[in-house]
Amino acid sequence: MIRVQQEPFDAGLEQQALVAGRTDIGAVVSFTGLVRDFNERPEVEALTLEHYPGMTEASLAEIIEEARQRWPLTGVTLIHRIGRLTPGDPIVLVIVASAHRRDAFEACEFLMDYLKTRAPFWKKEHTTSGDYWVAEREQDHADARRWEVSAS
Amino acid sequence: MTLTHLNARGEASMVDVGDKATTRREATASGAVYMAPGTLALLTDGKLPKGDVLATARIAGIQAAKRTHELIPLCHQLALSSVAVDFDIDDDQGCVRVSASCRLAGRTGVEMEALTAVSVACLTLYDMCKAVDKDMEIGEIHLDTKVGGRSGSYQRGDRPAESRGAVVSAAGEAPIVTGPGMGGEMDLGLVPGAEPCVRVKCLAELRERLGIGEVVVPLERLPSADIAGLKTALKAMDERFARLDQGRVLCAVNQVMAGEGTHLTSEDEVAFFPPVTGG
Repeated sequence: MIRVQQEPFDAGLEQQALVAGRTDIGAVVSFTGLVRDFNERPEVEALTLEHYPGMTEASLAEIIEEARQRWPLTGVTLIHRIGRLTPGDPIVLVIVASAHRRDAFEACEFLMDYLKTRAPFWKKEHTTSGDYWVAEREQDHADARRWEVSAS
Repeated sequence: MTLTHLNARGEASMVDVGDKATTRREATASGAVYMAPGTLALLTDGKLPKGDVLATARIAGIQAAKRTHELIPLCHQLALSSVAVDFDIDDDQGCVRVSASCRLAGRTGVEMEALTAVSVACLTLYDMCKAVDKDMEIGEIHLDTKVGGRSGSYQRGDRPAESRGAVVSAAGEAPIVTGPGMGGEMDLGLVPGAEPCVRVKCLAELRERLGIGEVVVPLERLPSADIAGLKTALKAMDERFARLDQGRVLCAVNQVMAGEGTHLTSEDEVAFFPPVTGG
């Protein structure tokens, strides 16, 4: 399940919905990303998330499909928020269900690493010293490359 | 209008200023150095490895103004009475704006001195920051005002949008941006006809850097029917598209990641955007 929305989400409710009525799931791993009040500069007051409607959903579906080919998953929920968010707000939710914990842990991390480097979202941060577009981070690319190495 | 630096045979020659009246001459020029937000923050906080960037660039600009005649072949040596170089940090546009004013009482204008001061101050900024940011871009160097002399005063105006020649549509579809911070999109008044076209979108920081949101390009303007050809056509239509080569710019055709050689056909949607930063 993929959703791109402005509204907040409730990670607990989403997890309940994912596992409702299922008895084949042995592990659920959930990751929630929050807005920090510091990033490239201190005192981030808000951020605005822009995306590329259409391509966003397609690229998220592609990333989930790739995870499903690598690990035997029994369910995935991926929610990404857009629009103006303030520190403490949840931005992104990834919930992965599998029969065993290792697959769920690894797939959850894989999904976040690929989302951060492949899905067309852009953050503009609003700080007390002005606004700026967040620059890409080499660490994110290094994180994503780990999965290429293990796949070869 | 004739060029006084060319003689009757079209050869370069220095203009004899001996007969010109001595008047108070003043000129102001400006330019900008675009850099990553992180670099701008380091500069603002004085944390760059080479030290006080702005103070160094100011001295460099002043020195350069005094030596303009050594750099520009047909410029006279002038005894400038004043050179001022100023900086303005523009967080929104991600740049340092540089301006220089030169003044003297003399027989020739000082616009070349002001332009040289800005150019060298910009180059010095680049040199001072290049250790942390190699994608910086120097741009928009131009004369702002000129006072005194036979040709009278000059005040740079905003050039009419039509002269840029691009087909840009701002109206129409709902904006892609999902919060405050859009703008800069221009309607240049040319309506795309029924001819085969590709629709080009610039997203996020790139849209703001270029000041262009959406453009419709007739396919016949592309020297080759691919992304490389589209870029060539865009640059010919509007000089701002030269910034497509600045830093890392990604591209998608019909919402699928694409490269320089990706083939284009009529009604394709092409998007240019910076590296993604979601999650």
